[in-house]
Amino acid sequence: MMWEGLALGFFSFGIIGFGFYWVIRLERFGGYLWWPYPMALGILMIITTLFLPDAGWSALLGITGGSFIWGATELKEQAVRAELGWFPFNPDKKNPPGVNWIKRIKAPHL
Amino acid sequence: MLQFAGFWMALATFLGIWWGHVGVRWLEAHSRNIWPAIVVLAVAGVGLNIAALLMPSIMPNVSADVLLTLSGVASIIGITLMWDALEMYRQQNRIKKGHAPANPANPRHAAYLAAGMGTTEDLLDREPQGYPINAPIPHHPAPHPTLTERQSVVAQREYAEVESA
Repeated sequence: MMWEGLALGFFSFGIIGFGFYWVIRLERFGGYLWWPYPMALGILMIITTLFLPDAGWSALLGITGGSFIWGATELKEQAVRAELGWFPFNPDKKNPPGVNWIKRIKAPHL
Repeated sequence: MLQFAGFWMALATFLGIWWGHVGVRWLEAHSRNIWPAIVVLAVAGVGLNIAALLMPSIMPNVSADVLLTLSGVASIIGITLMWDALEMYRQQNRIKKGHAPANPANPRHAAYLAAGMGTTEDLLDREPQGYPINAPIPHHPAPHPTLTERQSVVAQREYAEVESA
């Protein structure tokens, strides 16, 4: 019996649910150009998992990192949903630091 | 020694979400009836979670970390498939609402279109423009009528004067 594995599955369910929440909020108040920040955070988390001695903590952090990278790719589509009127649109967004560099990179979308 | 448990979990989470998104859209668009796919996804999802639960926690010659990784990946993919089963139903509602493009070659979608529901246009297939789609462009007042338009207005007035004379 392995209850820990099942717990990891439910943890991923919860963290993806949290992803719905933060993608909507970050897009509404900051805009989709924030995408490199959650992506970098997710990549850092996954790199950190490689150096954790305990497989359980490594797994929890890895799930969180994977979900953050997905969320970063979802921000652009969320921006379009807000512009279409499917979500509240906020005209006064707070741009991320380094917005002019970010604008030169095509925002990832899968 | 590097710890790869987290890496495999991250991969399972990311690919599960990604392929789930793509797979549900494709499956819903190509199924005449969504319920067989829903049942298969739900059964596979529950089955993977049972497999994750029944994974032995000790096995000779296999490290406990590997067993946890296998069990964790099975459960993550299992729960993702169960969610995909629910998303099949939600995707059908998106099609009816026009929030996702209908496939006219699918009889079920064709019936929605015939009933005035949905659209074949993919409304999400565009770049963000920075302001709501049906709103005027901010800070850009309506342009003055162009020279040719004004000329044509004058020309029409003159024409009307000639006509009435």
